[in-house]
Amino acid sequence: MYYDVFKQEVIFKVVYYGPGLSGKTSNLETIYQSLDPKIRSDLISLKTSQERTLYFDFLEMELGRIKGRKPRFHLYTIPGQPQYGSSRQIVLRGADAVVFVADSQPERMDDNLVSLMDLETKLIAQQKTLAFFPWVIQYNKRDLPRAESIEVLQRKLNFLHTPFYEAVATTGIGVFETLKCAIQMAVQKATTETQVAR
Amino acid sequence: MDVRQRHNGKRVVFSESSFKRIRSLIHDFLQRSRASLCIFADINGYPIAYGGDTRGLIISTLTALAAGSFSATLEMAHGLGESQRFRFIYHEGARHNLYLANVGEDYLMIVLFDKSVALGIIRLLTHQITNQLDELLAELRRNSDQAAQMLDREFRDLLGEELDRTFGLNRS
Repeated sequence: MYYDVFKQEVIFKVVYYGPGLSGKTSNLETIYQSLDPKIRSDLISLKTSQERTLYFDFLEMELGRIKGRKPRFHLYTIPGQPQYGSSRQIVLRGADAVVFVADSQPERMDDNLVSLMDLETKLIAQQKTLAFFPWVIQYNKRDLPRAESIEVLQRKLNFLHTPFYEAVATTGIGVFETLKCAIQMAVQKATTETQVAR
Repeated sequence: MDVRQRHNGKRVVFSESSFKRIRSLIHDFLQRSRASLCIFADINGYPIAYGGDTRGLIISTLTALAAGSFSATLEMAHGLGESQRFRFIYHEGARHNLYLANVGEDYLMIVLFDKSVALGIIRLLTHQITNQLDELLAELRRNSDQAAQMLDREFRDLLGEELDRTFGLNRS
């Protein structure tokens, strides 16, 4: 979180994490397309020549003033491909909350688990852990006929019992519910972890 | 911003007085260097204070990209076996030049200047201001208090309502 005393703005960073092609960028694209252009920035995507996320996607959105303070949100995705571990570590720095976008297809379960363990490893490198960090799981691609059942996904991925949402990111189902939950968890956490330098 | 590793696990935000001191340093830097824009940002990409000509620029996006670019060089430094991070990055454009320099571990300076300004001056004065900011930040970290409840229960409730309205969700 960053608090700008002059502008009375509170800025939070939410990072979308998950394996490659799970739908992280689709979440941001849906948010970008759905929101009033007056309250969001352009969607910045740093992509490879194969249209895969190279470094990160970035989208800023803001809300109206609340008790005199304007909340702003910086939304980032990480590159899901295994070879971009350093980029993930960098993008994760300073995150106030994480949305873990899991792919619901059974054949992607190992990729989900590897990415979740990667997230925990990178949080530990920043003296944090999923057990005490604001994060939410989004089970994406629920519209696919071979999507794994929620019971199985929960058992295999949500061993810390964090909030979860079902989603179809490309059509918008579950996208904003997930983001709202992540934001609220981030604000709750920041409330107890902030100091003011005189 | 996030300085929890060096500050008892707590985050620090700047008060109005500390913010003014930073703004003053930036103002002085711009006058002496003739750079067109100077942004002091945290390493996560939040613009903290800036001065100069911002016409046609979206500061938050520029800062997020600059922070990403700067952080990437950290990884390069590690990969090359450097014991410390690179101190600065310089991008030369057709009309504008961009100079990025680290301020301690958690912050960076972004300086935009045109062809009429010598790189040497920018390097010298950026080195000076980053040292000044580093000292100021060390002082601020020593004098941090627990924040008042800036984000109290009422704020969080109202935020939830605003998110529902903006996102078109039914209040649960």
